This record gives sequence, structure tokens and C-alpha cells, in this order.
Amino acid sequence: MNNTMETLNDKFRSYTARKRNSFKMNANIVRELVKKNVKVQYRNSIIGALWTVLNPLLNMLVMWFVFSTFFGTGDEWYALYILCGNIIFSFMRGATVQSLPSIVYNRGLLTKNKISQFVFPVSCNLGAVVNFAFSSVALVGVMVVTSIANHESAFGPSLFLVVLMLPALFLFSYGLSLILTAMYVFFRDVQHFYNVFLTLWTYLTPLFWKKNAILEKAKAQDGTEGFLYHALEFVINANPMYHFVDYFREITYSATVNGWSLDFYGFPKLGILYLIGLAFFGIGTLVFSLTRKNFIYNI
Amino acid sequence: MEQKNINEEVKNKEIIENNESAVQEEDYIIEVDNVSLDFYTRDEKIDNLKEFFIRLIKGKTERKAVRILNNISFKVKRGESIAIIGHNGAGKSTMLKLIADIYRPTKGTVKVKGKVAPLLNLGAGFDQESSAKENVYLNGAILGYSRKEIAKKYEEIVEFAELKEHMHIPIKNFSSGMVARLGFAIAIDVNPDILLVDEILSVGDENFRNKCARKVKELRDQGVTFVIVSHNMPQVRSLCQKAVWIENSEVMAYGEVNEVCDQYIKYCNNKK
Repeated sequence: MNNTMETLNDKFRSYTARKRNSFKMNANIVRELVKKNVKVQYRNSIIGALWTVLNPLLNMLVMWFVFSTFFGTGDEWYALYILCGNIIFSFMRGATVQSLPSIVYNRGLLTKNKISQFVFPVSCNLGAVVNFAFSSVALVGVMVVTSIANHESAFGPSLFLVVLMLPALFLFSYGLSLILTAMYVFFRDVQHFYNVFLTLWTYLTPLFWKKNAILEKAKAQDGTEGFLYHALEFVINANPMYHFVDYFREITYSATVNGWSLDFYGFPKLGILYLIGLAFFGIGTLVFSLTRKNFIYNI
Repeated sequence: MEQKNINEEVKNKEIIENNESAVQEEDYIIEVDNVSLDFYTRDEKIDNLKEFFIRLIKGKTERKAVRILNNISFKVKRGESIAIIGHNGAGKSTMLKLIADIYRPTKGTVKVKGKVAPLLNLGAGFDQESSAKENVYLNGAILGYSRKEIAKKYEEIVEFAELKEHMHIPIKNFSSGMVARLGFAIAIDVNPDILLVDEILSVGDENFRNKCARKVKELRDQGVTFVIVSHNMPQVRSLCQKAVWIENSEVMAYGEVNEVCDQYIKYCNNKK
């Protein structure tokens, strides 16, 4: 009896030791892959990683230039409105687009070594986090500039909630990446579908337009809150990215400058974000785990 | 007639092997036991969603199992080297991937004790966009080394591969010989217990080939186990103690290297 307990204990110990070792090993691999991903992006460019800062900034300027007269009238903070939406959406787009073909692209490594298939989507998502960090520099810059222009500070204590929100966004984009990556191994047209879908998604998410303004227009057209109003409201609310983008704006500057009250410091909204994130993470992990044994025969 | 003899010989060998294994079981570094591998293919390969849904509606998504390897068994003792020989498409490279734990057997078991170096073959095992240096670090990480440990080995690897001036060039601009050299240099420098070599010892220039051959002998004397897929019979005979001959997914002969090679050559000549 004692003996069996001991062997069980030994087995458990060696199992945990193995797990710890393989975690360390995978962490090393992921670190190398993230470095590679970030480097490869800006290879052969003169200003290198500066592009990560410039890219969202230039995008914002274009959108601001094109849409400010249509959607931004009366909003002194419209530049921030666009930038906040864009860097959140770019994070998700960058992570999923890079992750989608990652298993197939790395067939050279996968057919020669025993590697956990998870390291590829993980490293693509962590690469997106690095890019996000660079983009934040642009965000802080624009916050300073608009604060000065409006004689009102955009910086407030709610900014710290970003730290709590990011893991939820990561879970969402990682889960989605897992689903797409696994699908692409078996169906190569997923990439084309997803690219088209991303364009649609970009327009369906309030990145440059505003939810309230659109719903007001729908109401004005029908006279009351009719079918169009409810259909639009449903489409907007069913879009996970809307919730992330909206919350990010609220905590970075809206809560401070507009004096909006964040109910319970925004925790109920944060709860919704975590529900979305965990749901996608769960489904993604399940899909990926069930299919990954067969990747090797299809790449 | 010929065939029957060979099969009987195989059976005898197996009995002897089994007796041996009963005596000293722990010595085996690789144990391949009744391994079969099936690949599932459809009549036509479906690799897009559109096609998949059309088939689904028509109800034509039957999968067919194709047996790549059938009932393969062999064992390798620690420090011993084994060659896998046979015609193209017989399943030799697949066997290596089973040992490397890249493929999972459909039936049977593959037991490997010790560290396996990355499979050495002519395909690209590197990230094409990254430089040779970055690839050394990536491969090191995959083999379970930390950045520090690989940094220590880096100079040695570069020196052996003779690529000092080329380490900052992306792998996509390397010649196949250079890729093979780098792959070999990494694989031998990470202190593996098992090296899986697929046709790579016959590439590269004369100079490097000799260097490889010397290094292989040196490692073998140190007790590293080699599993070699090769068509070069003199090389096989000089490097290995044992050989498995795989033909049409099955083991035709297994045993002492010279015997198996002789049988294989005889079979090839008869076929002509």
C-alpha cells in the first residue's frame, strides 16, 4: 500500500518535472519566434521598428482627414476616438492574420523536430502585444497633443484599467487565432475568406463612425425605434470587437474628459470582455487540441 | 522461393532478437514494436472549404486508409548504429519520422530513450526569412537549450559549418549544400544520444563530406546511436552494425549489416 503510494508520488513528481521542463523549453522557443516575427516585419526598412509607432499614427491621420467632417463634427477628441479604435483593432488583426498561416509556413520546423504546435499561434499573438506596446507610444503622443489643443487633460486614473482589459483582448484574439490556424491547415481558402471578412469587420466596428450617431439616424429615418434601429443595434452589440474598442476608449480618455461615470469602475463591462475572451479561448483551445495531431499529415 | 527463404531468415532473426531482449532489456535505446502507420487520404484531396461542403452535401467524404508501414519491428542497442535500406518510397524516411516522434504510429509502439537531434534531411528545416544566426538560436531552443547554452556552442557550430562570413544572411539565400552543413553542425553540437540521418551524408563538397564522415565516426566511437537512411552501401556497411531492409512497407530482412546488404543487393540484381 505504502509502496504504491510512493510510486504514484514519484510518477506525479516526474510528471510535474517534465511539465515544468517542457514549459521552459516552449517558453524559449516562443521567445525566439517572437523576436523573429518582430524583426522580419521591419527587415530592409530604414526606420525599422519606428514603423510600429508611425503606422497607427499615419492611419489615424488619413481617417481623421477623410472622416472628420462626416462623423467627427462637434468632437474635439475625434483624433483620439479613431486612434483608440484602430490600435485595438490592429492588435486583433495583426495577431490573427500572422497566426493563420503560421503552422503551414513553419512546416520546415514541424517536419524535422518535435515541437508543440501551440508555440506558433502563441508567438504571433505575443508579437502583436509587442507591436501594441510600440503603438501605445503613438497613443500617448496624441493624447498629449489633443490635451494641449483642448486645454483639458485626457489623462485620468481610469487609464490604469488598460492593464486589466488587455488580458481579455489577448484571450479573444488568441482563441480566434487558434480556430483560424487549425482551419487553414485543412482548408486553404480560409485565408481568402478571412481577408474578405476582415474588411467587412473593419467597417462593422465603430472605428471612425459612432454607434449613437448611426442609431439616431436610423431612428430619424423611421420616426421611431423601428426594425432598422433594432437590427443595427443587434449587429453592433453582437460584434465582440465593438465591446473591446468601446471600453478601451472609455478608460483611456472618455471617462476623464466627458465625466462619464464608469459603473463600479467599469467592472461590469470588463466582465463582458472577459466572458467573450474566455469563450473564444475555450473554443479555440478545444478545436486546436483536437485537430493538431493531424496537422503534420496536411502541411 | 527466394522470398520465402528471406522471410524464414527474418523469423529466425526475430526469435534470436527476442531471446536477447529477455536477457538485457534496458540496453535498448530505440525499440520499434509492431509498428504500422496509416495515412488517410480521400480519392481526391480536398483542401478547401468549398470543395468540402460540396462533398458533404453529396455525401462523398469517405476516407481511405493507405498503409505506409506494416508491422515493423526492430531494436537498437545503446551505442549501436542501424541503417534503413530499401527502394525509394518504401517508407524509410517515414520510419525516421516515427522515431523522431513527428508521426504517431497507428498501431504498435516506438520507444526512444535519450535526446534525439533534429532529423537531418535535404528538406529545409530552417526559417527561410531568418538569418543563419537566428536559426541557430531557434534550433537550439527547439532542442531544449537556453540562450546562454547555445551562445556557448555558437562559435563551434559556425566553425564546423565553415559559414563564418554567411551567418547574417537569410537562409533563403543559402545553397542546399550550405543548409546541409549548418543543419549537420547544429545537430552534432547539441550532444544528442540519437542522430537520424536521411541521405545527407552524400551532399556537400568533397572536403565537407570527408569532414562529416570523420565526425560521424568520432561520434559513433563516443557512443552516439545513428539511424541512417542511405543508398550508399559501402557507407552503410562501414558505419552500421545492423540494418533493416524495408520493401513495400514491410520488413524484408533485419539483422547484421553485411548480411542484409548482401540480400538487398542480390534482390536488386535479380529484379533487373
